[in-house]
Amino acid sequence: MPLDAIPVVVVHSATNQIGDNAVLSGNAPVLLHEIAELTRKLLDSGESSAIDLRALPLTPADLDWLREALGQGQVAATLEAEGESTLSETICPGVWWVTHHNENGAVASEFIEVTFVPELLKAHPDDVRIGLEHLDLLISDLSNDSVST
Amino acid sequence: MQGPLIDTLARQGVTRRAFMKYCATLASMMALPPAAGRAMAEAMAAAPAAAKRPSVIWLPFQECTGCTESITRSHSPSLEGLIFDAISLDYQETLMAAAGHQAEEALHAAMKANEGKYLLIVDGSIPLGLDGAYSCIAGKSNLEALKEAAKGAAAIVAMGSCAAYGGIPKANPNPTGAVSVSDIIKDKPIINIPGCPPIPVVMTGVLAHFLTFGSLPELDGKGRPKAFYGETIHDRCYRRPFYDQGKFAKTFDDEGARNGWCLFELGCKGPVTYNACATVKWNGGTSWPVESGHGCLGCSEPDFWDAGGFYKALSMPADPLKMVANAAVVGAAAGVAISFANRGKKSAAKSAHETTTLADLEK
Repeated sequence: MPLDAIPVVVVHSATNQIGDNAVLSGNAPVLLHEIAELTRKLLDSGESSAIDLRALPLTPADLDWLREALGQGQVAATLEAEGESTLSETICPGVWWVTHHNENGAVASEFIEVTFVPELLKAHPDDVRIGLEHLDLLISDLSNDSVST
Repeated sequence: MQGPLIDTLARQGVTRRAFMKYCATLASMMALPPAAGRAMAEAMAAAPAAAKRPSVIWLPFQECTGCTESITRSHSPSLEGLIFDAISLDYQETLMAAAGHQAEEALHAAMKANEGKYLLIVDGSIPLGLDGAYSCIAGKSNLEALKEAAKGAAAIVAMGSCAAYGGIPKANPNPTGAVSVSDIIKDKPIINIPGCPPIPVVMTGVLAHFLTFGSLPELDGKGRPKAFYGETIHDRCYRRPFYDQGKFAKTFDDEGARNGWCLFELGCKGPVTYNACATVKWNGGTSWPVESGHGCLGCSEPDFWDAGGFYKALSMPADPLKMVANAAVVGAAAGVAISFANRGKKSAAKSAHETTTLADLEK
């Protein structure tokens, strides 16, 4: 039997509620104050910090509200590692929205990071060294090629 | 971040960034500051060669192997499994290749070589009835085996509701006299990880904490890691706003149920259950009981099986059956025949431990 033969009615959250803002818990606007505080700390001491969005009682509508309020900045990076991760700067430079997905595409963790550059984007010296070895290999292949031609 | 583990990872095709991402998620689940994710990544990646890895001994007692299933079938085996690359799992009956005398030898060798330093994981309750004869391994009762293994342990992890609180084996009338680890062992640090089964990441998180900081994470009054059991299911439930608005599903197929309203009146034990299901979820973050439309059973709380019915709202008086059963015991002791049809039927069913019918569960 095909799955769609099972009579399941999907009720979208927008139609669940009487009134527009009913699914907003009111917890999201408060977060803006905390983000502002963390941004001040970043400027004063250079110390990065993060807010764990999954650990807070936020409804999907709250998250949408916050995402919309913070907006989309100029930088967005995608990391492919055991599922996709997106790191995108909001319209407030230094405030990043970081979402980690697992291999099945489900959200594994979600943060707001207040930092100049998220740690995950920086290359590790050990990895850079491996990259350099690869470059050397490419270059030595070049000279071998030039000898043979 | 260097060391054998990061090399092992690379061979398995797991990049440094994937590992850092995993540790960040793990740390956030443990409610640790962001810096802890990095500390964890560094400590685990630098785990020394096999011979020097912290020894872990896992003893199964009166259990169903569900806890082991939960951990070994966690949704990202390559990464959750990594934690097991950073330890030396010296005895685990379900997973180890050795059997019989070989397995026993491995157990005793590990206990001797790592005396005072190994981490002991226990799943299952310990039966005290008939001198512990209800559950024995290699001719030894669980009680004896636990006492012997606990002696040289640095700390004990009571894994699952059975080891933590007695669990289902302890459910009324507790035929085997099942008790928890902490009922027996009083002189070692014990960390309870209740749940039936517990969430895999709670287990790996505790292991990661032990490996990184050499200590157990902060515990609450019931010996549970605060990071995962600090708040109730209800407090973190995405349906909580409906509770606050007084919107409840009254049956499993009414409009309220379809609209995803609060399941309190259908017996959800979320308000009295401390666990992380609402945030961590199950099956790789796919869903969890309340999201699937069923109330929380409260499986990580002591005596959840005898809490008065899964479908009875918390506001209903708990366990009216118990009062009837007590009356029956008194009656039997006095040699008085109980002739009230309903009462007699109920108490007979209870003492014979028959299947509970729907009528028993209803208010």
